Amino acid sequence: MTEPPLLLDRHARHWTLASAALALLPLLLQLPAALSATIAAVALGTAVLAWRGRLPVLVRVLLVVAMLALIIVLMGTRPGRDTGCALLAAMLAIKSSELHSVRDARSLLGFALFAPFAAFLLDQGPVTTVLAVLATLCALLALQRLAQQEGQATPQPLPAQLRGVLRLVLLGLPLALATFWLFPRLAEPLWGLPERALARPGLSDSMEPGAWLDMMADDSPAFRVQFQGPVPEAAQRYWRGPVLTRFDGRRWERSPFEDTRTPVDVQPGAQRWQYVMDVEPTERRELVALDLPTAAPDGTRLANDYTLRSDRPLAALSRWTLQSAPPRVFASTLSPWQRRQALDLPEGSNPRTVALGRQWRRDAGGDDAALVQRSLDWVRAEFAYTLDTPLAGRHPVDEFLFEQKAGFCEHFSSAFVVLMRSAGVPARVVTGYAGGIRNPLGDYWVVRQMDAHAWAEVWLAGRGWVRVDPTAAVAPERIYDTLEDRLGAGAGANLLDWRQAGLTLDFVRRGWNALVLSFDAKRQRELLRPLGVGELGAGQLVAAFVALAGLALGAMVWLLARGERERDPLLRAWHRLGRRYRRLGLAREPSEPALQWAQRVHARRPDPALLALSERFVLARYAGTRTHLASLLGDLRRHRPPSGASS
Amino acid sequence: MAGSGQRIWALARPRRPHALPQRLDRRRIYVLPTRFGLFVCTVLLAMLLGALNYNNNPALLLALLLAAAAVASTVAAHLQLAGLTLEAISAEPVPAGQPLRLRLTLSQRHHRHRPGLQLDHADSHGSTTLPAQGQVDAELALPTTRRGWLDLQRVRVSTTQPLGLVRAWAWFWPDQPLLVYPHPEAQGPALPEHGSDPLHSRPDPAGEELQQLRPYRRGDPRRSIAWKHSARRDTLLVREYEKPAGVEVLLDWRQLHGLDSEARISRLARWVDLAERQGRRYTLRLPGQPALGPAQGIAHHHLCLRALALMPHD
Repeated sequence: MTEPPLLLDRHARHWTLASAALALLPLLLQLPAALSATIAAVALGTAVLAWRGRLPVLVRVLLVVAMLALIIVLMGTRPGRDTGCALLAAMLAIKSSELHSVRDARSLLGFALFAPFAAFLLDQGPVTTVLAVLATLCALLALQRLAQQEGQATPQPLPAQLRGVLRLVLLGLPLALATFWLFPRLAEPLWGLPERALARPGLSDSMEPGAWLDMMADDSPAFRVQFQGPVPEAAQRYWRGPVLTRFDGRRWERSPFEDTRTPVDVQPGAQRWQYVMDVEPTERRELVALDLPTAAPDGTRLANDYTLRSDRPLAALSRWTLQSAPPRVFASTLSPWQRRQALDLPEGSNPRTVALGRQWRRDAGGDDAALVQRSLDWVRAEFAYTLDTPLAGRHPVDEFLFEQKAGFCEHFSSAFVVLMRSAGVPARVVTGYAGGIRNPLGDYWVVRQMDAHAWAEVWLAGRGWVRVDPTAAVAPERIYDTLEDRLGAGAGANLLDWRQAGLTLDFVRRGWNALVLSFDAKRQRELLRPLGVGELGAGQLVAAFVALAGLALGAMVWLLARGERERDPLLRAWHRLGRRYRRLGLAREPSEPALQWAQRVHARRPDPALLALSERFVLARYAGTRTHLASLLGDLRRHRPPSGASS
Repeated sequence: MAGSGQRIWALARPRRPHALPQRLDRRRIYVLPTRFGLFVCTVLLAMLLGALNYNNNPALLLALLLAAAAVASTVAAHLQLAGLTLEAISAEPVPAGQPLRLRLTLSQRHHRHRPGLQLDHADSHGSTTLPAQGQVDAELALPTTRRGWLDLQRVRVSTTQPLGLVRAWAWFWPDQPLLVYPHPEAQGPALPEHGSDPLHSRPDPAGEELQQLRPYRRGDPRRSIAWKHSARRDTLLVREYEKPAGVEVLLDWRQLHGLDSEARISRLARWVDLAERQGRRYTLRLPGQPALGPAQGIAHHHLCLRALALMPHD
């Protein structure tokens, strides 16, 4: 190109910068806070500096190097989805420094269009969705402005610009939707989704003092459940996740051997719960199920300790149909290996707890159940529930049991299991979720991240593993009560309103999940099941897609070609009347007054009704007498050229 | 559309000039993605492929929506040109070497606002905005190099509205002739006074008695407008003077010995201009044609220049 570059005008520049900023926003919300803040600062800085003039190449190169270094320091060198997104965000931020010609603006906008897509790879929540839609609309507005500048058209006012872009998007909507529902989906991905380099808080294979605090403050949903049939009562709503047996004095870990062994024998009770879970993406394999799942659904495995694990990381919203039954006997016998593992304590850690456990064993003799009861009584009498705990020291369990006497589920379950093991009772920590809120709209339950819970299981002869929740002994309301119960005493209608709004939002979100987020190849094949049609084959899908996309395209062309409709209903009706006469070769000339035209038509073929109508039209249009507008409109619409013999 | 592309586009419609007005029907409009459109297309394809592979539905929906909006913009770009009519073209003849300001009158009957219409003819570019159901004049400055009929090529009208992803274009090829006058000599001898009648001294037209006022016509020199009278009547009026009784000059091709024909034409053109400016009556004699004049005035001036412009080239 030998032509000189077309320089950006102020208007187009503002639009381009605004779209880059909006495109950056959903990405920044998903990245580590320190990195996001730096990228935002760099974006602002370069935009302000570049306003004055072109940044020197050296400065830009230094910026790129500095951002790369920062990303490597904060996120590590392991390539991941989030690392890629961080790179894209950094590039968008630096690219805004070279914004001089229309060409620069367009290349920046190309990346800005890609940014929401990248954000969706990290998160598909409502905030990201709304921001992505806004960023895309803004980018389209900027594109429109750039095209106008290229054509040297004067800038239109904002409402007109917005109308132009919205019109294109709305016209495209049917085609997009037809493609979305009917374009054949891949049953198996061609290549796997790269994992994230940085994990988000969530249930995992380990538990450390204080590590759960992030999760306890997170009220985003972890999963939603719909029960078919009976609903378990509050004391039974324990969602079992990873079982942790290994303890090093501070940190609980899951034993990797559990996965390789077959599940132990379980005699289920009479009760059965059928339910469907919609699990939000976690990037991990851990799944939860009500104590205890009777079978592993397809795509998952049940381990020896009845932990449910998915075969693939849960990178997207997933749906599982499960059945659970409370156990009557859960592992009637313990193998020597299992017993050894469930009694193992590290040498020399938490000495006071170990001493107390031995003391209690001497007092209780052979009665394990009495030991459990004694420790629960102690906890109930002397301990308190709080999320505000000091950092753990060398012997966290000792410190908790004998000094602080206050903590949350992490501390209670850990201390209880250590105490039991010291007393010679096989015990382990179970993590998962407890409780949940029922949403009366749609009749389903929401379990949030903050409902994460840790409890204990002790092995008693004849009963097997028995669930013991020391936290519930201290603060049952934290686990069993729903917020309504706590608010029931009249805590204020205001709070209830907020809660109602939250539930409504969650209902909408669930609908969006069901309709859009969880749509896949399997649901696509079953698309016509409600109409009584079986599974759709690939050929049928393609045929349906082509037919519907063709229709949508036709509608788009027709709507566009119809042009901007006349806004005035009177003129619209008048023009339509004129078209009926045009078919007879009696079209009104562009410069011909209405009355003159009517008289001309009347002279060719007698049409007194048209004369009267045109007089009324002229009065209404030019004299402003619009009192009988409705009847005039009706008459104009009804009038047809008389079918008499034409001259 | 330069270089090798030119050969392909020679097959495009229209393939020969047509009479005005010319209306663009949809078969005469061509649409291709711009370079930026291809870039966006690549980005969209990457997004669609990634979203389908990961079954990432919001990303897929967003990419599809963008793609559909791009398709809609393609149709909209086509419609920006469909139904556009070139009503007329006109240009004041100019001496060769000066740009010819070609005025194109575009109109439409549609309710469609058409901003950013670009007009191109070889290396000259212009742009305009056509309002709904309106008419607009666009101007193109065509470079001129030689006298005679201007070889008007196809005029490309194009638009990248609404999003700049595709360019729609069509060609107008009016068969209306455009004349370029000969380039007058920059410097040369004064008007030949021999053989003329030296009775009267040359009167100053501004000092002449006013004969009559007539309405302004396009092309009247600005200095002949009667501003005071015009202000009183609210319309532009032009003074017409009594024929100035100047000294008649004879501008004769045959008297210019020793010059080649182009040089003669240049000199005669300059003399014609000079005589007109001085308000003298002049006669132009060209070989093989009856003499023009003696006369004076705009019409005569144009007639003489036209005769000079249409002299056969060597």
